[in-house]
Amino acid sequence: MQPNGEAIVLTGISKTFTGRSGTVVALEDINLTIQEGEFLCIVGPSGCGKTTLLRILAGLEKPTSGQVEIRVREPGKPVNSMVFQEQSIFPWYTVKENVAYGLAMRGVSRARREEIAEHYLKITGLSKFANAYPHQLSGGMKQRVSVARAFANDPSILLMDEPFGSLDEQTRVILQQELLRIWEGTRKTAVFITHSIDEALGLGDRVLVMTARPGRVKAVLEVDLPRPRDLTLIRSRPRFLELFDTIWFYLREEVMKAKASELQG
Amino acid sequence: MRAEARILSFFSPALLLVLWEVLARAGLVDIRVFSSPSRILETFLPVLFSGELLYHTWVSVRRIILGFLAGAIPGVLLGLSMGLFPLVRAALEPMVAITFPIPKLAVMPMIILIFGLGEASKVFTVAIGVFYLVLINTMSGVLNIDKIYLDVAKNFGASRWNFYRTVALPGALPMIFAGLKLGMGTALILIVAAELTAAQAGLGDWIWRAYDMFDIERMFTSLIMLTVLGYLFANALDLLERWVIPWKSPHA
Ligand SMILES: Nc1ncnc2c1ncn2[C@@H]1O[C@H](COP(=O)(O)OP(=O)(O)OP(=O)(O)O)[C@@H](O)[C@H]1O
Ligand SMILES: [Mg+2]
Repeated sequence: MQPNGEAIVLTGISKTFTGRSGTVVALEDINLTIQEGEFLCIVGPSGCGKTTLLRILAGLEKPTSGQVEIRVREPGKPVNSMVFQEQSIFPWYTVKENVAYGLAMRGVSRARREEIAEHYLKITGLSKFANAYPHQLSGGMKQRVSVARAFANDPSILLMDEPFGSLDEQTRVILQQELLRIWEGTRKTAVFITHSIDEALGLGDRVLVMTARPGRVKAVLEVDLPRPRDLTLIRSRPRFLELFDTIWFYLREEVMKAKASELQG
Repeated sequence: MRAEARILSFFSPALLLVLWEVLARAGLVDIRVFSSPSRILETFLPVLFSGELLYHTWVSVRRIILGFLAGAIPGVLLGLSMGLFPLVRAALEPMVAITFPIPKLAVMPMIILIFGLGEASKVFTVAIGVFYLVLINTMSGVLNIDKIYLDVAKNFGASRWNFYRTVALPGALPMIFAGLKLGMGTALILIVAAELTAAQAGLGDWIWRAYDMFDIERMFTSLIMLTVLGYLFANALDLLERWVIPWKSPHA
């Protein structure tokens, strides 16, 4: 992997949804460059267009205007894999089949699929549930399956939409640690949406703060904290607290705006 | 609690039978119309052991199975196509919507005109009833698959064929089975109706002949067989469902 090439370049991205209840401008003039091997975290008020932005990166949504350039092209690898915000693992497949889904779609041999899936099941602590169906799992375990499915696919770019959003605190911390460990082993380009400033600072190389809807880039901050990181220790570093305050300052303004426009209806 | 529930669901029908018998013997129930459990049993055992009843049962079972398959297979295939392809749906949905509410019994004379009085008309009557229920349920099964799974398939690079195989079909299966079960219920109704008109054999025909002779007990023997058939078919479908849909939560 050659570091510091540009992985993703967004120029003037806007997205307008036209529906029965009128039009919604979700994103407005987003300009952003993501480096290869970078872990970018995105925070912003609810409904500001974070998911929309990620779906555009994934190619699941077309921008109304602007350009998306995906520059990483590793031969033999899928360009991106997404961990969706909502429950998204197939109820009709076992945990292992879910984790191996992308591999199966790419025609990877059965034996190799098994091997890779088992590796990621082990890493995410799901080995015992390899042959269970999703309805037998807790919410947190389903999220882990979703993360394992994306990692097992070994894409050039990992897209994660609040993957730990619906989890309890203890599970979340454990999974954050696991994610960090896996990521620090692979250093894939990663885009990670979160509501938690803590999480963004613990995981990211940079944090992008978005404005209230229509979503624009409010600020981008460099997280100059050393790696490998220990999420429980990093919180007490003075630099962490400084960055936290700065992000909170930006974010609070936008959350207030979002609230205000919500009250206006 | 569960044991109690089980005991209760065993004893309540048993109690009803006892009550029926007692009332019949006391003369409070007209046995010329309602007969009594003991009289029915007296008629039932001989016709069962002589093989007469089994022969007629087999005739009906054959018609039900053939009709069920003849209706369910095209129903699933067409339902999947209508669910997957908007153009197919646009072309066929109006016809389905218009013809579905027509009571199948109302077209039986026409079916007889077309297919004659033989096996084909009975099989077709069952098939047409099963077909609509399976078709409509299969289609809505496909249409109601959560959109998130379409995104997952796309994101993980599923080809068109793989999408049908890994998302559309398994996603629609629970509804397909709902359709098959409804279809089976309808098949039992329709077979009896079809056999009431000019059949040579079968459980429906048996009922009609017993009625002609005013032999109430004989009529009941056919009803017993129909009940048994309904139970067996429903269980067979449940078994098949558990085998085909192993992921289905037992509580759902
Ligand atoms: N398919 C769609 N059709 C119409 N409007 C949409 C669609 N998808 C999103 N929107 C609207 O676009 C805006 C941004 O939605 P998005 O899901 O991107 O927000 P978000 O930042 O991810 O929110 P959250 O933090 O709550 O997940 C919202 O107002 C939403 O209602
Ligand atoms: Mg979102």
